[in-house]
Amino acid sequence: MAPRDPKVRQPDGAILVAQEIARSYGERIALRSLSFSLRRGRVLGFLGPNGAGKTTAIRVLTTILEPTAGRFEVDGIGSEHPVEIRRRIGVLPEGLGFPRNTSGIDYLTYFGELFGRPGHAARRTGYELLAEVGLQNRAESLVGTYSHGMRQRLGIARALVNEPRVVFLDEPTLGLDPRGQQELLAMIQRIARERNAGVVLSSHLLDVIEDICDDVVIMNAGRVVAKGTVAEVIGASATEGGHQNVLRIRVPAALIGSAQGILERSPGAGAVSVADAVGGWISTEIGGPGDRESATPEIDRIRNAVLAALIAADIPIIEVETGGGRLQDVFLQLTAEAIV
Amino acid sequence: MIGTSDPTAALTVVAGAGRPAWWVVLRRELAELWVGGRALNLLLLFAILMSGTAFLLATNSELSLTPPRLMMVVALQATTSFGLFIGLIVGAESISGERERATLEALLLTPADRRQIVLGKYLAAISPWPAALLVALPYVIVLAQRDVALDLALMWSAALGTLLVFTFTGIGMVVSILSGSSRTSLFVGLLVYLLTLLPAQLPGEFASTAVGALVRAVDPLESVRQFLTAYLVDGYALDEARVLLIAPTVAFGAVLAVVIGVAAPRVGLAGGRVTPG
Repeated sequence: MAPRDPKVRQPDGAILVAQEIARSYGERIALRSLSFSLRRGRVLGFLGPNGAGKTTAIRVLTTILEPTAGRFEVDGIGSEHPVEIRRRIGVLPEGLGFPRNTSGIDYLTYFGELFGRPGHAARRTGYELLAEVGLQNRAESLVGTYSHGMRQRLGIARALVNEPRVVFLDEPTLGLDPRGQQELLAMIQRIARERNAGVVLSSHLLDVIEDICDDVVIMNAGRVVAKGTVAEVIGASATEGGHQNVLRIRVPAALIGSAQGILERSPGAGAVSVADAVGGWISTEIGGPGDRESATPEIDRIRNAVLAALIAADIPIIEVETGGGRLQDVFLQLTAEAIV
Repeated sequence: MIGTSDPTAALTVVAGAGRPAWWVVLRRELAELWVGGRALNLLLLFAILMSGTAFLLATNSELSLTPPRLMMVVALQATTSFGLFIGLIVGAESISGERERATLEALLLTPADRRQIVLGKYLAAISPWPAALLVALPYVIVLAQRDVALDLALMWSAALGTLLVFTFTGIGMVVSILSGSSRTSLFVGLLVYLLTLLPAQLPGEFASTAVGALVRAVDPLESVRQFLTAYLVDGYALDEARVLLIAPTVAFGAVLAVVIGVAAPRVGLAGGRVTPG
């Protein structure tokens, strides 16, 4: 077994530790100084806009790419022992392809054998995993006949054939319907809790990340811009001025112009924008964009006044949302440059 | 329910109780190639080409233009040429095809050594060759017209054909490992194949020059063709003809070394870049 490297500082209970990892493609730097740790039984959300370096980070951490600087450890094994690391990780890469003319059980047996299990044991494990991901009735069916959601579940089963210590899931919910997303996310939580594995989950579904992740790393342009527990990241952002000062209101689409006019005349409301003309969503920032001065009671007062003005004008309010205290708001705030 | 098994048990199982990775990959690739129908399609093409060749030779025979032994050797040369073409195609698609279908990453995420993965695929890509020989056998037997040299011709053709199939399949695999797409690797493979066929088409005047002789001598396919003709048809002794075996033997060794020693560790998601492990 590869020796534990004393150079990497191992936080208590950490199963994955990354220190100052960087990766370049020629002149282009895709990843700069990525450091974080993940403990057993926890789910870490990897967030960032497209091109932020998430997939590169996952490919480095799963030994598909070599880091140009820095190192990492999985279960105490240093990144200079990639084969030993592969024995300890399970990965569902983004856009993973599947052979069409193979049955689900044959596919899992194949990978079980590649991880060193004897054929019969690999097959038995394959059946167990198919049952775990709810595909036991389709075990003998060709993968080509599986739906996208079933393939994703098969991909997760494949990622578990070696009883991994850390599981990497790169955009596992991409292309799934809401029910499929929900089932997959419940499965991911179970992997962390019941297998006591660390899970690294890359996704664009920010509300989902907020719900199921314990920790979060937000990346932008190859850099880590925030990390910690979900509560810490949201809290830190609020401390820096991220009050819940965004107000989104849904009114009947036919009345969106009238509602916009009322909001624009309301004292304390900032610029009003139409977020979704068909859906009838308009939004404004109380105190204006970047207002770091208004205190929460003042924001509450202005918000109520704005809503009262709409009610007084006999405009039905279908839905109201406030922003600033959700991971989504923190994400948009921290990655604003990339989105602009 | 997820997580019922003991997570600490996994690594002891993984420590090497199973079969070697090259064997696991070979079985899988054979199933893909044969059950998936690709090898059968290529063999059908092979049978059509052999039928055409046999028909032309048999027609010549009826006109007494070609003696039976020469027809037999020509048919065996054609068998080798078509057989190595199949290997070249399968080899050229082996890695780049997986890359394009996005199935390669899962394979690279296993602890299997890259060389073993490539070896398994390499051997699977060779597998149509014995089948092609079997398909060609009736044609050769009929064309040989009970020639006494039939056994010897079959033995040498099988041996040298195997050497050439390994060589050309290996070339296809190297290109497949290093190139970014199947289209590129198939194109390069086809180009190499056509270049090795070229010396046989050289005009007589050029072929008799020093450069022409050199080109013919270093081309393994042409060397094998010349060897079979010299030894089996023209009556040269084995000692005299065996100099012609140098090119195919050297090419076989060199390609094998490049495939396993140089190219296999470079199997990665991007063609030609070294990935860890």
